[in-house]
Amino acid sequence: MTLPGIRAARGLRVRRPWRLAAEASALLIALVVAFPLYWMVLSAFKPAGEIESTEPRPWTLAPSLDSFRRVFQQQEFGRYFLNSLIVAGTVVVVSALVAFLAATAVTRFRFRFRTTLLIMFLVAQMVPVEALTIPLFFLMRDFGQLNTLGSLILPHLAFSLPFAVWMLRGFVKAVPEALEEAAYIDGASRARFLWQILFPLVFPGLVATSVFSFISTWNDFLFAKSFIISDTSQSTLPMALLVFFKPDENDWGGIMAASTVMTLPVLVFFVLVQRRLVSGLGGAVKD
Amino acid sequence: MNHPRTFAARTAVPLAALVLAATACAPGTSDNSGSADDEKSGTLRVWLFQEVNNAPKKQVVDETVTAFEKAHDGAKVKVEYIPVETRAEKIKAAFNDPKSAPDVIEYGNTDTAGYVKDGGLADVTKEFAAWDEAAQTDPTAKQSVTVDGKVYGAPYFVGVRALYYRTDVFEQLGVDVPKTQAELVATARKIHKVRPELYGLAVGGAYTYGAMPFIWANGGELADEKGDGYVSAIDSPAARKGIKAYTSLFGDTNCPAAKCAAMGGNDTVTAFAAGKAAMAIGGDFSHQAMEDGKVKGKYAVVPLPGVKAGEIAPAFAGGNNIGVLRSTSHRTLAVDLMKQLAGKDTQRELFAGMGFLPTYTDVRDEVAKKEPFVAPFVKTLGAGAKFVPASPAWAKIDASLVLPTMFQEIVSGRKDVKAASGDAARKMDDAFGAAG
Amino acid sequence: MRSVHGARWTPWLYLAPALVLLGGLLVYPIYQLGLISFLEYTQAQVSGGEPTTFQGLANYQHLFSDSQFWQVLLATVLFAAACVVSTLLVGCALAVLLTRVRAVPRLALMLAALGAWATPAITGSTVWMFLFDPDFGPVNKTLGLGDFSWTYGRYSAFALVLLEVVWCSFPFVMVTVYAGIRAIPGEVLEAASLDGASQWRTWRSVMAPMLRPILVVVTIQSIIWDFKVFTQIYVMTNGGGIAGQNLVLNVYAYQKAFAGSEYSLGSAIGVVMLVILLAVTLVYLRLMRREGREL
Repeated sequence: MTLPGIRAARGLRVRRPWRLAAEASALLIALVVAFPLYWMVLSAFKPAGEIESTEPRPWTLAPSLDSFRRVFQQQEFGRYFLNSLIVAGTVVVVSALVAFLAATAVTRFRFRFRTTLLIMFLVAQMVPVEALTIPLFFLMRDFGQLNTLGSLILPHLAFSLPFAVWMLRGFVKAVPEALEEAAYIDGASRARFLWQILFPLVFPGLVATSVFSFISTWNDFLFAKSFIISDTSQSTLPMALLVFFKPDENDWGGIMAASTVMTLPVLVFFVLVQRRLVSGLGGAVKD
Repeated sequence: MNHPRTFAARTAVPLAALVLAATACAPGTSDNSGSADDEKSGTLRVWLFQEVNNAPKKQVVDETVTAFEKAHDGAKVKVEYIPVETRAEKIKAAFNDPKSAPDVIEYGNTDTAGYVKDGGLADVTKEFAAWDEAAQTDPTAKQSVTVDGKVYGAPYFVGVRALYYRTDVFEQLGVDVPKTQAELVATARKIHKVRPELYGLAVGGAYTYGAMPFIWANGGELADEKGDGYVSAIDSPAARKGIKAYTSLFGDTNCPAAKCAAMGGNDTVTAFAAGKAAMAIGGDFSHQAMEDGKVKGKYAVVPLPGVKAGEIAPAFAGGNNIGVLRSTSHRTLAVDLMKQLAGKDTQRELFAGMGFLPTYTDVRDEVAKKEPFVAPFVKTLGAGAKFVPASPAWAKIDASLVLPTMFQEIVSGRKDVKAASGDAARKMDDAFGAAG
Repeated sequence: MRSVHGARWTPWLYLAPALVLLGGLLVYPIYQLGLISFLEYTQAQVSGGEPTTFQGLANYQHLFSDSQFWQVLLATVLFAAACVVSTLLVGCALAVLLTRVRAVPRLALMLAALGAWATPAITGSTVWMFLFDPDFGPVNKTLGLGDFSWTYGRYSAFALVLLEVVWCSFPFVMVTVYAGIRAIPGEVLEAASLDGASQWRTWRSVMAPMLRPILVVVTIQSIIWDFKVFTQIYVMTNGGGIAGQNLVLNVYAYQKAFAGSEYSLGSAIGVVMLVILLAVTLVYLRLMRREGREL
């Protein structure tokens, strides 16, 4: 379908005025969807007096970096950023590997409790995270993990695994069994098949599922503020945003600038994997 | 085969140990007994509240801390400013995990009873009695650190609210400063009618401390002491009269419900500071926000009028205290630091920088002479300020928004005063009952 | 063929890391959640001041006899349903739209959607609040609504939150369904169009059946996510709205547990939510079974 010929043929079928109307509305919708983001970035650049103005204007004539300065000048901002990267990175890599193994087990083997396990993976996604904060708090405390990055990594791993396993199933299933047999006939060991043949084939799927674990971990506030009680050297980015929510009057400029700084890495990550994401999601839900 | 096995094994072993260790059946509780250690050096962690305009506070605290570190060899102090709204979660978490808890905290005086019941604060009765400066502590302030006769901290500042009004607006419209509650309501409406872009009196459905004087001025109470507990009195006829007076200020004649129902105390202060209200009930601690706002030089303060002319509506005696955590392993040092942070010198400077009213009667009189703006607040305090029920249940009633819900139900027309106050009374009694 | 694999333990070996992680960090806390819901467990118990006592079903009785709980439950179900339906409609419509346009508009819409998806919930909620602010927001200015306060009325507040939820969750549906449509062989669609089928008919009788597995997945995921909505309500209605009018179960549980320190009640609400979502899963499994598909 990626062949240009077929695409052109498909394009032809849609009559011209219709396609123009469709394209116009697509652009219009894109503008509407992007508008909140535009407003966020715009407010981050607006000078102090203009943000809360009763005459809101969709542009600014005097862009200012003050808000960003307030974000970056926070003590240990770089540390927060690094911590967020460590936490999200660890969760993405570990959960991808663990989920890959688990997905292989439930799709390429037949064993007792297989269906039960699958249902468990589905059910596990339904647990309201907020409700588990209390038990998790005590669990982390008992392992001495409170106030460390471990208290963020471990729960996020647990929360991103079920969805990752669930999504990866389709990919693993899509790899033909004949390939596996051929590999064994060629004398490959199971480990070799697993890591050198299956893993590369499933990789696009891993990228797609990683998007989910990355976003949920990167954007988390609840654990970040519940488990890192007093050690600011272990805090993550959301804390750098929360300081702008103040008792008297929120610092909108700071909030918007910090939000922009937080959203940007995810967006870059998204754009980089966009293509794989589309093909990946297509594969994940095929069965 | 080799590879996955070792991978699995490497991951599984430490994590399995982790799971095994957690097979205790009961949910977590904390062993929050006081620490036996009393180290004379090391790092002291301090949590203070992040204020509206925190820079001057930080400066005063930094000076105090530097002096303290100089005087105590080997002691280091690390101060963190925590947001007021989320303080409950944070301080509870600290009580639950002594390892990451601070040694010294600032806390709101309405939380005292609750924190003591939670077993979080250290009893400093002896040290407080032996502290010479404490002799001049004003009795209301001392009351706010005392539970069952024991002292759990040092008062840091007192906060009391009074009526801010716009001198320019009053002059332009030719209205007089209200002398009774009825006049206050009438004046607010009159101003809003002529200047519809202004709230006559900025009020908030979630502004409990702004509403309490109305209840007290009408002879009502939040709760009555009964035996060694409390029963709610919020639905008594007198209290209902006060509720009615306060809620009558919401609506198109003064402060439109669509906006004001959701406002809290800070929102009303912000509205006044931004020049959007002709009157507001603000604290001495709001003074700096007004000075920084658009209304600088165009406002004055008087005590909030009572029901009859010449009376002052009893204000809520707010304020914060400094306490030592029971779990501290540096008790002597921590108590010393508490005395420094809440000492006379610090309070004098805090007044200069932040406008916080000192808790010592002599220091307060001294600053009132220098700064005339505090006069109406000192006068309000002198007329008899009141306090919320000294019950551990109060923290819960406060946090579960019983009173804001009541005001909002009335203001938005969902329930009448009788039904809403009845419901609130029931919820309060539930909480008092549970607290024992 | 499976017998080639030999070792009966191999799947369990592969599963071990996942099971250990989930057992320790998910199943065990859920067990504790259930346990707490049967105990008296307030701050006094947590900090060790008083012993925990077994309450049997008392917490549940208390909950079920509270009329507010039922109101919140009803609001949650209706609100989640509205969110799921709107998200699916918007997502599917835009996915079809994506297949009808050329590269530039497609890329624009895709990037905008990814941007919405990438925004942290707390940020998204804050920006939307700002856009709809009665005093400073551009939306009221543009629509000429004056100082209409969106968060004052119960329905307008829910509508505002719904818009934000749809904004940040339609991209998942759109991208997934779009990926699914692209996987449909071109000839099938061509045949349909040669038969003179309208857009709607093509969708209904050709695409929808082929996309069914994908639609089921996005529906289930949307239900799971929207039923648990927390941040949007918490931020946009300031913890549940005026007099608690916009509470949903998850926020209600959080308020009970953390603001009210009634951890047992909060846990009981969590258990109720879990049971409701389990019921949804059972329906899903039955549907799958009726179609003769296996998991």
